[in-house]
Amino acid sequence: MSQEAQDIQDSTTAIVAESAPDAKTRRYDRQLRLWAASGQSALESSRVLVIAGTATSTSVLKNLVLPGIGHFTILDPLEVTPEDAGNNFFLEGPSSIGKSRAEEAVRLLCELNDGVDGKADKRSLEEVLENDKEWLSDFTIVIAHNLDPKLLQRLSEYLWSDTTFPPLVVVRSAGFLAEFYIQYHEHSVIESHSETTPSLRIDKAFPALLDYATTLDFENMDVTDHGHIPYVVILVRVLEDWKKAHNGLPPQTYAEKKEFKQGIMAMRKKSDEENFEEAEAQAYRSWTATTVPSEISELFDDPKVKSVTPSSPPFYHLVNALAKFVQEQPSHTLPLSSTLPDMKASTSAYIHLQTLYKRRAEEEKAAFKSYLQVPIAEDMVDAFVKNSHALKLLRGKQWGAVDKDGAALVKGGEVAPKELSVHLALSALSSVIDKSQPGAPLTPTVEALTEEAQALLPGGASLPDDFDNAVGEVARAPTADLPNVAALLGGLVAQEVIKMITKQYIPIHGYCTIDLVDAWTGTLKLSDLKP
Amino acid sequence: MATETQSQPADWPGRYFHIDQVLNTPGPRTDESFLAGDGVKDFLRNKSKILVIGAGGLGCEILANLALTGFKDIHVIDMDTIDISNLNRQFLFRPKDVGKSKAIVAAEFIMKRVPGVKVTPYFGKIQDKDDAYYMQFNLVICGLDSVEARRWMNATLVNLVDPEEPESLKPLIDGGTEGFKGQARVILPTITSCYECSLDMLNKQTAFPICTIANTPRLPEHCIEWASVLEWPRVRGDLKLDTDDPEHIGWLYKIALARANEFKIEGVTWSLTQGVVKNIIPAIASTNAVIAAACCNEAFKIATSSAAYLNNYFMLIGTDGVYSYTFEHEKRDDCPVCGGEALEMTLKPTTTVEELIDILVEKQDIQIKKPSLSTPTKQIYFQAPPQLEEATRPNLEKKVSDLVPPGGEVTVTATTLPFSLSLRISYSE
Repeated sequence: MSQEAQDIQDSTTAIVAESAPDAKTRRYDRQLRLWAASGQSALESSRVLVIAGTATSTSVLKNLVLPGIGHFTILDPLEVTPEDAGNNFFLEGPSSIGKSRAEEAVRLLCELNDGVDGKADKRSLEEVLENDKEWLSDFTIVIAHNLDPKLLQRLSEYLWSDTTFPPLVVVRSAGFLAEFYIQYHEHSVIESHSETTPSLRIDKAFPALLDYATTLDFENMDVTDHGHIPYVVILVRVLEDWKKAHNGLPPQTYAEKKEFKQGIMAMRKKSDEENFEEAEAQAYRSWTATTVPSEISELFDDPKVKSVTPSSPPFYHLVNALAKFVQEQPSHTLPLSSTLPDMKASTSAYIHLQTLYKRRAEEEKAAFKSYLQVPIAEDMVDAFVKNSHALKLLRGKQWGAVDKDGAALVKGGEVAPKELSVHLALSALSSVIDKSQPGAPLTPTVEALTEEAQALLPGGASLPDDFDNAVGEVARAPTADLPNVAALLGGLVAQEVIKMITKQYIPIHGYCTIDLVDAWTGTLKLSDLKP
Repeated sequence: MATETQSQPADWPGRYFHIDQVLNTPGPRTDESFLAGDGVKDFLRNKSKILVIGAGGLGCEILANLALTGFKDIHVIDMDTIDISNLNRQFLFRPKDVGKSKAIVAAEFIMKRVPGVKVTPYFGKIQDKDDAYYMQFNLVICGLDSVEARRWMNATLVNLVDPEEPESLKPLIDGGTEGFKGQARVILPTITSCYECSLDMLNKQTAFPICTIANTPRLPEHCIEWASVLEWPRVRGDLKLDTDDPEHIGWLYKIALARANEFKIEGVTWSLTQGVVKNIIPAIASTNAVIAAACCNEAFKIATSSAAYLNNYFMLIGTDGVYSYTFEHEKRDDCPVCGGEALEMTLKPTTTVEELIDILVEKQDIQIKKPSLSTPTKQIYFQAPPQLEEATRPNLEKKVSDLVPPGGEVTVTATTLPFSLSLRISYSE
């Protein structure tokens, strides 16, 4: 090492630096960048139950074992058939035939990750529902693929019967078509990873920012410094001056907005000052009022938010405090975010501005906390304040509720005919299975399936035009768990399960339907099915 | 028992129970030319030959899906070796495989797991192979993370097309992922939009201006760039930065952290340092599974005609619910690879050759890193070999308008790309 390198080494040893990441962090590096240590820890504490060791089920599990869930159980009493051995990657071809499907799949899935505990349970779901159904509530989430419709019904009823019971993911597939649905009472998300950024509040500058922007001597400033004033400061200043000359109002008309922008460009000392160009490009922030997004203010009126009790979940307490903050704090906005985007500025000007934002954000967070009625972990409060512009509360329905609601189905046919067609074709197949003798070969005709689908709709309502395409595929391959469809479902279902477990990103709210003939996925959102 | 079945590649009764349901019967949208039954099964299982480019996140999934759907002659190319950070998604690899060839380990795993499937690995670069090699396949699936490699593969397959020879048209199925997002597409070289046609859809990489890095750092990333771009060569001299060497990353991290502290900038971490210098893209098993499945499903449909194939682009965004969009990306007439028409370009009369090169490098639908320029009659500027570079260097300062008449053509080439781009130059005044 050169002398200079040595000097640098010495001068940096005083700083407390992290050491190189450990093997586990290195292994999970590419996913930690998506859900961070908090998401990873939620995954590692989770217990996932998968019912039936089909190709689709093992595909889902593969994508959960790799990122490192804590535990999984496969519930399956069956032995591996030659048909299973042909389409399931987590069986060893003919050598697995005749062995327990759950045990074989668990053994091969566990090879993917030492950190995951897997268990094969050779009981049938029926037996569990009869004698040991409390056992089901011991899991974080339950996933069921192509279950017998009657058993599925009983399973979903039981898991719906108590709001603390795990969510149920119902997955159905036949040939090139598939769908899945997540049954949950409600699911709240703080870290939604929204792409919308919080307001910089230029229109409602907080006192320290306003003071800084209005006392800065633009005129007599050194040319270099002038070219490095952050655009936020420029906009606050220009807006303040504008308001003084316009009865306290920001630019309203197109002509005024144009004039406002011209005013910004006229302040340049040199023609190539990029910070003023940025200010011009971002000028809309001056007349866009910082308001509470409607989706957030709707939460304030939620009965569960209004009537929080000490035992209410933290999310409701946080939203309750947020509602009071917005109502009582003079700005009537959400708490300020301390995140400042990058902008053309000198280091000192930028860091100074960033410090103003951080300090103010801390003050507002303290004010926010004063409205909390119960103590809540600091990390959670931080995340909540930071994401208060993009919170999400989803309220679900019991599995099968949509099929009992003729009006919802009719609405689905109007807003999403292709998606509804796939759903109805798969529901029709379930109806046929429900009525057939156990063990009898399943070869429903298009006519029989169409009749079942029609029976789900209220009298007089007709099936969508796209239904023929969907039902034909179901009749073509009613019992096919195609490897590519299984793999695609495996990816999508695992993705949604990860979102449910980590409470990060936003899971589906209704049905996700898939047609791999035309290669599309779609959603039937519960919120779109209200007549 | 296990070894006995492994040496017995014959199919067992019931093996294709699931797949055969869609091969025995057409569906409502199946083309009339589909010949249900034994013929199509025989082609899929005994005659078709498929090439997989990449044995990484997508490649592992693609190989497993192809093997299960009945492709039995699969080739795979990958020049990489296995790293510990691959193990959260590249499910054919185990900790004991770290350091070994991805293509070889993946091929062995598939052959062990799925009886009767032959996977032929090549541990090397796609550029090592010639046209005759690529001609032997019916289909090519790409699961790559490199734009450059995709462009090379795309251009190679477009160039392979001989209108007199239908077999020379090799469908190219391309997949890509980034975090919860991904895309899968079907390219029929010379017929549909090709990879090059859609170059402008790529996200522009964030590049920090060197003056910001040197003089006005504001973000932790600026400090990291300062450490890697300026301090590393200055202090460590000729030592090549190895972004996989923890000592090197550790050094950059400490230097960046010291600079950040000096400027009171927060947020320099080991993870961010590594992310910035390696340009790490988040990657998870689930997204790769979706995109690989979409690609393999298209390969299966094309090989069997059991259903119409994707026309021609599927994109997925999985952050807010499951959002996907399937659409037809249109062919560009001025695509340098498949379009045939010259790209119109209007320059100022004062634009110099050097400025034109900057424009070409920056332009989102061209993205040529080190372009060499010539006209039908003269060399304007060549990046290599050194003698030619030296001989043409004086032209960099000259105005393009002094070298190329209005309406004249300029041919742009780059050593990394197997095609040339024609520009038709006009002047704004």
